[in-house]
Amino acid sequence: MKFLISIAFKNMFRNKLRTVVSILAIAFAVMVIVFTRGLIDGMIEDTYSLYIHYDTGHIKIIDQEYEQKEKLLSLNYTVNGLENKSLSEMESDLSDLDGIEMVVPRLKFGAAVSTEEELVQMLAWGVDGKKELKFTNIGRELSRGRMVESGKREVVMGTALLDKINKTVGEKVTMVYTTAFSSFQGATFEIVGEIKSNLPLLNEQVVFMPIDTARQLLYLNDESTELLLVTADRDQVNNYLPAVRNYLDQNGGERYLAQSWRSGNTFIQLLEVSEKIYNFIYLFLVLLSSIVVINTLVMIVKERTQEIGMMSALGLKSREILELFLLEGSAMAVIGSFLGALGGGLINYYLSGVGFDYSAAFEDIDVLMNPIIYPTFKIEHMIFAFVIGVVVTTLTAIIPARRAAKLEPTEALREI
Amino acid sequence: MSLIKLTGLEKIYQQGKIEVPALRGIDMEIESGEFTTIFGPSGSGKTTLLNMIGCLDKSTAGEIIFDGHSINDLDNKELAEVRRYNLGFVFQSYNLIPVLTAFENVEFAIRLIDKHSKKERKDKVMSLLEEVGLGDMAHRRPNELSGGQKQRVAIARALIKEPKLVLADEPTANLDSETSQEVLELMKEMNEELNTTFIFSTHDPQVMDYARRLIEIKDGKISKDQRRD
Repeated sequence: MKFLISIAFKNMFRNKLRTVVSILAIAFAVMVIVFTRGLIDGMIEDTYSLYIHYDTGHIKIIDQEYEQKEKLLSLNYTVNGLENKSLSEMESDLSDLDGIEMVVPRLKFGAAVSTEEELVQMLAWGVDGKKELKFTNIGRELSRGRMVESGKREVVMGTALLDKINKTVGEKVTMVYTTAFSSFQGATFEIVGEIKSNLPLLNEQVVFMPIDTARQLLYLNDESTELLLVTADRDQVNNYLPAVRNYLDQNGGERYLAQSWRSGNTFIQLLEVSEKIYNFIYLFLVLLSSIVVINTLVMIVKERTQEIGMMSALGLKSREILELFLLEGSAMAVIGSFLGALGGGLINYYLSGVGFDYSAAFEDIDVLMNPIIYPTFKIEHMIFAFVIGVVVTTLTAIIPARRAAKLEPTEALREI
Repeated sequence: MSLIKLTGLEKIYQQGKIEVPALRGIDMEIESGEFTTIFGPSGSGKTTLLNMIGCLDKSTAGEIIFDGHSINDLDNKELAEVRRYNLGFVFQSYNLIPVLTAFENVEFAIRLIDKHSKKERKDKVMSLLEEVGLGDMAHRRPNELSGGQKQRVAIARALIKEPKLVLADEPTANLDSETSQEVLELMKEMNEELNTTFIFSTHDPQVMDYARRLIEIKDGKISKDQRRD
């Protein structure tokens, strides 16, 4: 076997250009796989975390009716406690459940600011500033000032929104809104922070204010539109969900819906399906590149027919001839896949720092997605692509190798 | 006991629906240590006969006894074993592996047997290359050797495993007469020194001059079998 490996390796250099082309074809396919996996992974990871931070939490509790009215920012279907428990008690009980690390309340409603030219509409989020800083990455996005603090009449908003209303941090802004009793009211807030984010939601739409201030303005005592539960491990959320549902059922909270971050969002579900589809695309990609290797080996078998006859005459068995050609194909597969995995890894390593600007493509799409995608650099992506490159190419190389092994020695020797 | 005994050997090739007989009942015995030439016009069945003796092809009818054993019923794997341990081949177009040096080409045959240590293998190959006059060219690749030198390497490759029989199909066809003579001298020396049996197929009168037995084939049958002393 050792000498077959040595011959197979030396044979690779008989027609260097052809070998290089075959190796490059595999390397290219494997590189594309590493890059695509890194890109998709980066996109999915980023999207998951954005949805978890700004939409679903790990588990989201809302009123069943609110699910239909969420887009309208209705204040008629809030989470306001259970039969014998206030919202604060409910939050406290939930955070005591096994695996639940934090309960993040949000009170979302519509608001607007009037400038000289237009009425700028915005999404007002009453939040617990400390919890938001802990749960989301908003702290990193704050370019000026600070996050809102409990009990104060203050707001934090994105750079684009500030530009739209011609305000800056330190100035005051008067906002109008509709209360829970449908009365139209206004209040003035101090702008204490500016968020500079690539995410249109944070940059152009949301204005954060303390949740207690929001409750007071809206006449919603101890109510939220949603509760986001943060668990110890987002991937184990299905293990924690039954206890949450059980708690709600036992305390007369049947009207509430407790959804996992995976099931609650169709975009996330779509991404998960697309992840599986991509695995087939990777396979197809390597199959395409292995056609080059098959072609190379078919040519090699044709060129070396007499040599195969000679080897057969010297006593090489069919299995050994098959191994010899398979080894040659595998050597190309290993070198090509290694180079491809390395190249793809390097590209991802570089792009994971500088990112990939997709903003033009996302301009008119209403999904929670960061317009700058940072592909992930993971050794496991490189290993995955390397293995798929070697296995698929070697398996396809069996076709020409079998052809060589099946040649009758007398016919092979006759070939010129 | 004969090294090879052929009895009523027939070979029919199927070309579409037409049957083409290549050998039509060959009876022949070859003793150990013979230096035999099979000659005859093109298409007479020389190469087919050589292929049968060399376990490269199977007969349609008749029996082949090699070294006391019938090889008629052996499958391809078993035939490959017989070739690996007992037979050496020299081809018209040398058939050396271009990426291997002269040393490695010769070593290739002995590595298949796998019963020697690396050191033994090296000594054996080098000593045989010395014997065929290529000791100082052991590390040259085939493209750095002349036709005669290539054929010497091929002869060394055939002899390295000390086979009972060496089959040479038109071994001088690609060589000039001077080189042919050198190669034939070498094979004759090896035959006398190692008592290895040689069977040639040829058109070349020069080869026939060297043979101690001449077998003529015509239309798939032996037409003449002449021994010389």
